[in-house]
Amino acid sequence: MRRTPAIALPLLLLTACGAPEAQRTTPPGADSAVVNVYTHRHYDTDKQLFARFTQETGIRVNVISAGDDELLSRLEAEGANTPADLVITADAGRLGLAKQRGFLKPVKSAVLDANVPAHLRDPEGNWYGFTMRARVIAYDKTKVKPEEVRTYDDLTKPRFKGKVLARSSENVYNQSLVAAMIAHDGPEKTTAWCKGVVANFARDPKGSDTDQLLAIGEGLGEVAIANSYYIGKLLTSDDPARQKAKGLIGVSFPDLSGHGTHVNVSGAGVVKYTKNEANAVKLLEFLSSDEAQRLFAEGNMEFPAKPGVPVAAVLQGFGPFTADTLDLSQLGLHNADAVKVLGAAGWR
Amino acid sequence: MAGIARLLQGPRPYIGVVALLLLAPILVVVSAPLHAPATEWTYVRTHILPAYLGETLRLIALAGTLAIVFGTSTAWLVSACDFPGRRFFRWALVLPLALPTYISAITFAALFGPTGLLSDRLRAALGVDIDILGPDGLAIVFALMLFPYVYLPARAAFSAGMSDVLEAAKLLGAGARRRAFRVAFPLARPAIAGGVLLVCMEVLNDYGAVQYYGVHTLTAGIFRSWGGLYDVGSALRLAGVLLLVVLALALGQRLLKRGGLRTAEGRALRRVRLSGWRAAGATTWCGLLVLFAFALPIGSLLGDTLATWNAAAIADLARPVVNTLYVGTWAAAITLVVAVAFAFAQRMGYGGLTRPASIGYVVPGAVIAIGVMGLAGPLAARTGWVLIGSLTLVIYAFSVRFLALAGQPLQAGLSQQPRMLDEAAHLLGASPVRTFLRVNLPLLRPSLLAAAAIVLIEVVKELPLTLILRPFNFETLSTRVFDMARIEQWREAAPPALLIVACGLVPVLLLERWMERR
Repeated sequence: MRRTPAIALPLLLLTACGAPEAQRTTPPGADSAVVNVYTHRHYDTDKQLFARFTQETGIRVNVISAGDDELLSRLEAEGANTPADLVITADAGRLGLAKQRGFLKPVKSAVLDANVPAHLRDPEGNWYGFTMRARVIAYDKTKVKPEEVRTYDDLTKPRFKGKVLARSSENVYNQSLVAAMIAHDGPEKTTAWCKGVVANFARDPKGSDTDQLLAIGEGLGEVAIANSYYIGKLLTSDDPARQKAKGLIGVSFPDLSGHGTHVNVSGAGVVKYTKNEANAVKLLEFLSSDEAQRLFAEGNMEFPAKPGVPVAAVLQGFGPFTADTLDLSQLGLHNADAVKVLGAAGWR
Repeated sequence: MAGIARLLQGPRPYIGVVALLLLAPILVVVSAPLHAPATEWTYVRTHILPAYLGETLRLIALAGTLAIVFGTSTAWLVSACDFPGRRFFRWALVLPLALPTYISAITFAALFGPTGLLSDRLRAALGVDIDILGPDGLAIVFALMLFPYVYLPARAAFSAGMSDVLEAAKLLGAGARRRAFRVAFPLARPAIAGGVLLVCMEVLNDYGAVQYYGVHTLTAGIFRSWGGLYDVGSALRLAGVLLLVVLALALGQRLLKRGGLRTAEGRALRRVRLSGWRAAGATTWCGLLVLFAFALPIGSLLGDTLATWNAAAIADLARPVVNTLYVGTWAAAITLVVAVAFAFAQRMGYGGLTRPASIGYVVPGAVIAIGVMGLAGPLAARTGWVLIGSLTLVIYAFSVRFLALAGQPLQAGLSQQPRMLDEAAHLLGASPVRTFLRVNLPLLRPSLLAAAAIVLIEVVKELPLTLILRPFNFETLSTRVFDMARIEQWREAAPPALLIVACGLVPVLLLERWMERR
């Protein structure tokens, strides 16, 4: 061993540094003051809230964040051995799926029942929504009058030929909007709507929601389908690349066949095999509290689930809106159909 | 050493077990039709598969061709010609490898997308519309990011052992262009083919960039089935089709490998000094590639980092850096040990099982994760031995995924060692294992370094496996980038992205040096 391979040195050094913190301190055991969370949300607000929760209750929050489908696959593989107590996703469809697959357990809590309106939670208490986002129409204020974009159907009118911007149909936000339409109007009418929108596309779907808004700024289209909080973030951004769009964008909360604007929720459910159920419920209750709801609204531009908590100032400017009160489990039931309808309509 | 050798006597069964262990997650994926019901398969087969397969093939054809053009031309220039900046370009052309493709792709979109910074300027100045967001644009981006995979082996092929043949061609009156196109490029074909295969595999397993650019590859189809149709079974079947595509590509590459030039040692090419417009052209071409493939994305990331400078957020990255290097080093070490064992088996002529074990490289990370969890889940249920959420499993998954990468330089290195060496050792009474450890392995040291470097580069960039399999609160640089990118906060994703590049630079340069010596 006269000449040690060069790679041995960093290896030794790192091993000497010891295993990373996470590995040593993960305590998946029961009865400890922890709650283990699988989450699809990556926001700073969530990190802050978890820290606040630990401060107030002494319960430590351990987090794994990943895509929701991946997290559900992990829950499935882990089965009864899962260390997870609470699973948070940004899509009611996935929460419905988790319930259907038996990953969640129903919990009852007077606090949750009081804070979360009935249409934003599972009737049996398998999951609770804590914030809403609306799928809205952003429009170029200089070219489009607000009354021209009152409904989602308006996007299919000849007025907007070559003017509509949207991201790809791989995206869950578009899928759940279409799932909601199928739930209300059936697949045929929804297919016709999708085809109408596709016929009006300014370009092939590409990029993120924010990119659709920026495209309005560049005059590449006049109307875009986007999530409310991306618009809120854009309107409060100091990024120079976003300034042009900032001055041009108006927001309409379009109506879906008389039911109001399509909303989806971020929500959470207690995992069936939880070993810290009480802590998980406490965290759920905390997320629905005034304090947390205010931070979701102000820090992340989401619509609070709890009635009476004010919306972020920048979104208040666009006026009140009526949210569709469709039973959100319908979104999950129709998601696969939505993908097929989008595919059939040629929405890339 | 002798003790170890005795312990390892009859290594065949061990190698078989390890090969099976690494193959197992892939088998879970491939055998999906046997155990995973696919409710939507009829729809997926008729509506998703044909269209997505077509777009996939088109994308790899285009990206592969461009990568050949970029990689071979630059490799030839720096090996056979002298021009201003040659010494700099020789190593600088490798740098794009340090950038994860999804980060580069998004950076390019921010510059040359429909609303990109530079598109904007060009529109104002020249009135032209540039929109890189689309299948063709993505192919260009992939080629720019991945051409070093062609450049490196092509350069090695040009610098080793080709000088005599080329001298002969010159004496016979072949001009420079003829020598390049009729002699050098065909002789380098196996090396180039190997590189292109890597490029195609990277393109095939990418998800972040294809989704952002709105391109329908098979991997996009996998996620459409999984997340959109709620049908993991169909997703796994699509992954099986993806494996077939790779198998076909690998077969093609094997065919191309025939007829290549095999020499162990050779003098470097005698370089032709370019002058005038030729020199300017060579410098410009290499310069443009380095500019677009490395300098622009890095500049953009630097700009964003400075614009959003936040000392606390940067200090917060210390832990992810340590975690990234920790996992990366272990993964590199373990993958290397396995790759060495497999290289030994192949040298001994019983590499049968070891070859399919390296197909993990092409499977999208998220799908490997399903395979890995499909093994670890039942294991925990039966034995109570919970592996999901342990770094052990993460590192195991990395070995499954990156074994092929580590294997390539080792096999290349071994194939250059004459068999006579082994035979001499045998005649002197050394066992096969002892021969391998005392003769072959020491000679293989540069290849070992290259293999370790390439795995380290990839692990530092890797995202989906870490994301799904990691322990609680375990963050790497990639997961940090992902957190920010997913919520469309591109500028805040820049500091961890830059650190990924920084971590990747050392192994990239190591790799470059190894290729130099070869």
